[in-house]
Amino acid sequence: MRLIFGLLVMAVWAAGQGHQATPLPRQQPTEDPAAVERGQALFKSSCGFCHGDDATGARAPDLLRSPVVLRDDGGNLLGPTIRNGRPDKGMPSFTTMKDDQIAAIVAFLHHQANLALHSNRVARDYPLARLLTGNAQAGKAYFDGAGGCSGCHSVTGDLAHIAKKYSPIELQQHMVYPSGNDVSKTATVTLKDGTEYRGKVVHQDEFNIGLMCDDGWYRSFRADEVKISEKDPLEAHRELMRKYTDADIHNLFAYLESLK
Amino acid sequence: MIKYPRACVCGSVLMLFAAILCLAADGGLDPQVLLKPLGKDWPTYNGDYSGKRYSSLAQINQTNVRKLTLRWILQAQSVGIKSAPLMVDGRLYFTTPDNVWAADARTGEIIWHYYRESQGDHIGNRGVGMYHDWLYFETPDCHLICLNAKDGKVRWNIELADPKLGYFSTMAPLIIRDHVIVGVSGDVTDIPGFLESVRPEDGKVEWRWNTEPGVGEPGSETWPRSGDAILHGGGMTWMTGTYDPGLNQLYWGIGNPNPVLNGKIRPGENLYTCSIVSLNPDTGKLNWHFQVSPHDTHDWDATQTPVIFDDEYQGVHRKLLAQASRNGYFFVLDRTTGEHILTKPFIYTDWAKGIDSRGEPVPNPEKEPTPDGTLVSPGSDGATNWMAPSFDPETKLFYVSARRLWSIFYMTAEGKPEGWAGRDRNLWANSVVEAIDYQTGDIRWKHEIGDGEGSAGMLTTAGKLLFTADNSDNLLALDPATGETLWHVNLGGKMLGAPTTYELDGKQYLLTPTSNVILAWGLPEE
Repeated sequence: MRLIFGLLVMAVWAAGQGHQATPLPRQQPTEDPAAVERGQALFKSSCGFCHGDDATGARAPDLLRSPVVLRDDGGNLLGPTIRNGRPDKGMPSFTTMKDDQIAAIVAFLHHQANLALHSNRVARDYPLARLLTGNAQAGKAYFDGAGGCSGCHSVTGDLAHIAKKYSPIELQQHMVYPSGNDVSKTATVTLKDGTEYRGKVVHQDEFNIGLMCDDGWYRSFRADEVKISEKDPLEAHRELMRKYTDADIHNLFAYLESLK
Repeated sequence: MIKYPRACVCGSVLMLFAAILCLAADGGLDPQVLLKPLGKDWPTYNGDYSGKRYSSLAQINQTNVRKLTLRWILQAQSVGIKSAPLMVDGRLYFTTPDNVWAADARTGEIIWHYYRESQGDHIGNRGVGMYHDWLYFETPDCHLICLNAKDGKVRWNIELADPKLGYFSTMAPLIIRDHVIVGVSGDVTDIPGFLESVRPEDGKVEWRWNTEPGVGEPGSETWPRSGDAILHGGGMTWMTGTYDPGLNQLYWGIGNPNPVLNGKIRPGENLYTCSIVSLNPDTGKLNWHFQVSPHDTHDWDATQTPVIFDDEYQGVHRKLLAQASRNGYFFVLDRTTGEHILTKPFIYTDWAKGIDSRGEPVPNPEKEPTPDGTLVSPGSDGATNWMAPSFDPETKLFYVSARRLWSIFYMTAEGKPEGWAGRDRNLWANSVVEAIDYQTGDIRWKHEIGDGEGSAGMLTTAGKLLFTADNSDNLLALDPATGETLWHVNLGGKMLGAPTTYELDGKQYLLTPTSNVILAWGLPEE
């Protein structure tokens, strides 16, 4: 009965997923890189003295926070503002500026605003130079000593050439808390008659455990009917998270990053 | 582009049915009803003004919860439901971004559906507020729309703030007498937050309270004197607050400051971001404030429900307010004055150097985001988040969906920080339902709900039951005194809102929004 009900609920749920309203993407103007570059140079020479070379403000306001920039659509507001100036606020007019020059400045400003809008991204190609602030020697000492890393890992074994395998930021993340098949939790499930099944834990909640067993079969068990003995290779990493200083992390990263 | 709103009524049979129900629904919801404790209906986002999410209904109780069976299923044909369905006069009103539905609370049949396509962030919508026959709905493009509860027709539509500047909205409006209290969302651009009261008749603004003080006003000293930081300081009002009719105080949790992860250009405590505030709902004047995360640099908004209850505290009867906050700390205040009573972490945290004499955590500057990464517990998703907590006056325990969550915070800004100016990357998350003794802040019991981030809220009832869901899509009925599981069923989808309950024709219903489906549970017919 419970199974039938569960299937019914899943069917209803799945049916709904197919008809989800598609949320509209946030507007992401893509500016022509050549125009942005031209605009940057023009902005720097004509506007940077007051608004800052990157348009984030100096003597005059930060334009990335400006309602005029944020509400502008292809220069419809910025164009007249540049051409006419804002005499009441002390901004001169740029009457001699040509249309293509204004268009380039507009492209640059939208590009800068877009960078700010997406400043909450730490991409896979996050630069190594930003991450590499630690001391590799100190990292090696931590690896072999206080960190206890060498108890499970070897730089000539499982970690050999580890820096080639991951981008720098991925290496730092995996170093602190690895993910992937090779670090999955495993369990041995013992039935009441003594039969044992061992395998990778692929589902676990309060009521059931599901194993991909060593023999290639998926088996699930009611948690209250079996004995479960778990082995989690990541436990030591979780314990370490409370012990690390950030300097330890940066040193250890510098050491692992040297393992090309 | 904004398309014209349209309401559709589904099928002639339903129209007839709706017409009959409309007669029954005449008069709608008198705001005076909201002054009473939660009864058979569920007329506001939190059920009643207190935020306790405790129902006095006890037909479903510990002796029969194992017999719970499905009454009906409603397929919303939309994204996940994060709203609390209101139940008034036999009708449900619930939402997702751009959508409002009215449905028959006895059968789950849809009576009308209002849809309005909009630009803006569609992260979620918490539901509608109701005043007599009118519903109030906030949209992803930060409009406030007044609908006729009878048929979903638009009465008026106003813009609360300009979506082009980065505003959107998520909260369920709160009705207090003849005030409609509305707030705004958005933190990818550096815009200031506010709370407003508008007139139910026409949406005309009665007052606006800005979440940053004006230059020169008290609190402005917590921002830099030069520059424009205070004018672009964030502090959104994402979630619905609570209200004490006796004190006539409105309580609201305020969002994080901007730029979000980089505080270098906003040295100071940055009031009233990450604060619990008390306002006069008639004037919008600030009564008191308490800042749970001074100078936040981790996106830990303090928008979690400020739950209010009266009880003895160390032998003295007090009017209390409690919040389990996203930063990992549990706070108890005297809600008359804002006097601090208790601060205690409810998960392991490593970002504060201690608690100061005001009861506020003192942030450790070394735990601010850096270009090379700073390991912090909790991550920006928070030790808890939008998931509704509950307070059970019988057990006197505060229940929260808590997360153990580790994350590395990076500061990405090279020049002047703008917007988020950084981000954290999650490493590991694991969730637990906790019962907090508000007298001591001690965790009375924990109920593990699995790896990952919990997303379901709480409901407690006089049936001595606590309903919530785990991270494997199981609906759980727990003993609120011990945390023991009394009943469960797999829902087949994620609960993103919270369970609610109501009584109709002498029958108690339990509602569980699950993904984009609402499931209604009840006891089998005799």
